[in-house]
Amino acid sequence: MLSRDYRDIVGGALLIVVGLSFAGYAATHYPLGTIARMGPGMFPTCLGVILAIFGVLQAVPAFFRTGKMPEIRIWSPIFVLGGVAAFAALIFPFGLIPAIIALVVISSCAELKIYPVSLVISIVFLCVMSWLIFRVGLNVPIAMLRWPF
Amino acid sequence: MDMLSNIALGLDTALTWQNLLYCFIGVFLGTLVGVIPGIGHLAAMSMLFPLTFYLDPTTALIMLAGIWYGSSYGGNTASILLNIPGSPANAVTCLDGYPMARQGRGGVALFMTTIASFIGGSIGIILLMMFAPVIASYALQFGSAEYFALMVLGLVAASTISDGSAVKGLAMVTLGIMFGCVGSDIYTGMPRFDFGQLELTDAINLVALAMGIFGVAEIIASVRRIKKGDIDPESVKLRAMKPTREDVKRSWGAMGRGSAIGSFFGTLPGTGPSVAAFMAYAVEKKSSKNPEEFGKGRIEGIMAPESANNAADQTSFIPTLSLGIPGSPTMALMLGALMIHGISPGPSLVAEQPSLFWGLIMSFWIGNLMLLVLNIPLIGVWVRMLMIPYHLLYPAVLMFICIGVYTVSNSAFDVWLVLFFGALGYVMRIFDWPGAPLLLGFVLGPLMEEHFRRAMLMSRGNFGTFIDRPISATVLAITAILLLWTMYSALSGRRKKRLSALVE
Repeated sequence: MLSRDYRDIVGGALLIVVGLSFAGYAATHYPLGTIARMGPGMFPTCLGVILAIFGVLQAVPAFFRTGKMPEIRIWSPIFVLGGVAAFAALIFPFGLIPAIIALVVISSCAELKIYPVSLVISIVFLCVMSWLIFRVGLNVPIAMLRWPF
Repeated sequence: MDMLSNIALGLDTALTWQNLLYCFIGVFLGTLVGVIPGIGHLAAMSMLFPLTFYLDPTTALIMLAGIWYGSSYGGNTASILLNIPGSPANAVTCLDGYPMARQGRGGVALFMTTIASFIGGSIGIILLMMFAPVIASYALQFGSAEYFALMVLGLVAASTISDGSAVKGLAMVTLGIMFGCVGSDIYTGMPRFDFGQLELTDAINLVALAMGIFGVAEIIASVRRIKKGDIDPESVKLRAMKPTREDVKRSWGAMGRGSAIGSFFGTLPGTGPSVAAFMAYAVEKKSSKNPEEFGKGRIEGIMAPESANNAADQTSFIPTLSLGIPGSPTMALMLGALMIHGISPGPSLVAEQPSLFWGLIMSFWIGNLMLLVLNIPLIGVWVRMLMIPYHLLYPAVLMFICIGVYTVSNSAFDVWLVLFFGALGYVMRIFDWPGAPLLLGFVLGPLMEEHFRRAMLMSRGNFGTFIDRPISATVLAITAILLLWTMYSALSGRRKKRLSALVE
C-alpha cells in the first residue's frame, strides 16, 4: 500500500504534459482560424486542453486516498516488443523467413525459460504455415528470403 | 412483403459459396479465439483484418462479424472448464459454470450454453432486422449537429458506463481523438502531426493501432501468467451432455430474460455484451426464489448471461449499421473495415447497399446455425485446444500480427507503429487506462471533427445550433445527465459498491 495513490498522480501528470504539449504544438504550427471557419489547428488545440483537464481531474483526488503499487513487468515488454522490432527491421532487407525466426526467438525469451526443441519445431511450423497462407494462398507480394548485399 | 423481398435479397447474397465459406472461416476462428483465453476477439479481428482487403466488402464484413459472435460461443468453454473467462463477456459464466464442471456436469453446461447462445443470437438478429432499417430511415434527415451530438453521447457513454474510472475513460477517448487528428486536415488538406514522416500524412493505420493496444499489450500482460488447466475428459463426452428435464425447464425463463436484457444493452453505446451478461446474471439472481444457490452451479446462472451476450453481439450492429456510430471497439473495427473498402457508413447504407446490409444480416442466421451445429460435436476438439501451452501460442500470435500489419500496405513503418502502440497499451495497463474508449475515439474522431466544423460553418459560429435543433438538444441533454450521474456516483462512492453488491 502507498500513502497516496501515486499511480493516478503520475498518470494524471502524464496526461497534463501530453495534452499541453499537443495543444501547444497544434497552436503554434497550424492556423487556428475562427469559430465559424475553423483552421486545421483549432480542433487539436481544444483536444489537448481537454486532455490536460482530465489529467488534473485524475491527479487531484489521488492525493487524498491511498493507492496500490501497480505490478510493472520489465522483461516481458522488452522481449515481446524486441521481437516486434526485430521483425520490423528485418522484413524489408532480408525477407519474411529471417524476420519470423528473429521474432519467434526473441519473443519466446519473454517466458524466461527456453524450450529448444519446441522452439525449433514451432519456427519450422510457422515459416511453412505463413508461406502457405500468405504466399501460396493469398498471393501477397512478400519476399521470403532476400540478400541485400 | 417488403421484408420478404429484403430477406430474399439477403439470402441471395449470403448463400453464395464464397460468402458461406468466409462465414464458416469467421465463426470457426471466432470460436477458436473465444476458447483460448488470452487472445481477445479484437486482437483476432485486427489480425485477420488485412486478409479481408483481398475480399469483397460484404464477404469481409461477414467474416469479421463471424469472429465477433463466434467468440461468444467459444468463450464459455474456458469459463466453464477452467474458471478462466475466454473473453470478458463470459466472465460471469464462471460463477455457476465452473461449479457445474466440478460436479461433473461440464458437458451439460457446455451443451446448454450453446443452445442459450443460439437463442440469444436469434432474438438479437430479429430485432436487428426490425429496427435497423427504421432507425436508418429516420436518421436520413439528420444534419451535422445531430451527428455530432450522437457521437458525443456514444463516446461519453462508452467511457463512463463500463467499469473503471469515468475520468480515465474520458481521457482515453480524448487521446484517441488526438491520434485521429494525425494525417491530412479534411478541409484544407494540410498535413497535421506528420513530423516529417511521409507515412503519417495518410493517417495512423487503424490495424496497427488496434493490434498494438489489444494484441501486443495483451500478450505482454499474459506471458508467464496463463497456465494450462487440467480437465476431466470424461465430463465433455457426448454422453455426458444430456441435460435433465429439470435443467431444460428452468432454462427457458432464463434464456428469455437474458435475451431481452442482452438485446437492450447491446444497442446502448458503451455497454455491449459484458455489461449485458453481468446485468442478466444480476436480474436472474434477484428474481430467483433461491438466490443462495447461485454460484454453486445453478443452470440459470449460465443460461441468462450466455443468451444475453449473444443477443447483445447482434443488436450492437443496430447503431453501427443504421447510424454509422459504433458503440464498442469491435463495432469501430467493423466500421473501419467498411471505410477501408470505400463504403461510407451511415443511414444511407441500408438504402444504397441493400445487398450488403441484408446479406450481412442473413449471414448472421447462417453463422449462428453453423455455430450451433459445429459446437456440440466439436466441444472435444476445443477442449484439446485449451491444452496448448501459452509459450507456443503467443509467438505465433505475434507473428500473425506482424505479418498482417506488414501486408496492409507493404510497409515496415506500420510494424514500428504496432511496436509504439504495444508499448503504449502496456503503459495504459499500468496506469489502469482503458483501451476500448481510445479505439472508439480514434475511429470517431475524424468524423466528429468534420461534423463539428460543418455545423459551426453552417451556423456561422453560433454554438446555439446544437441546442436549437430538437434531436440534437435531446441527445446532448441525455449526455449531460449521464455525465452528472457519473460525477455524482463517483463522489458518493456508491457505484462500485452497488455493482459488487449485485454479484454477491
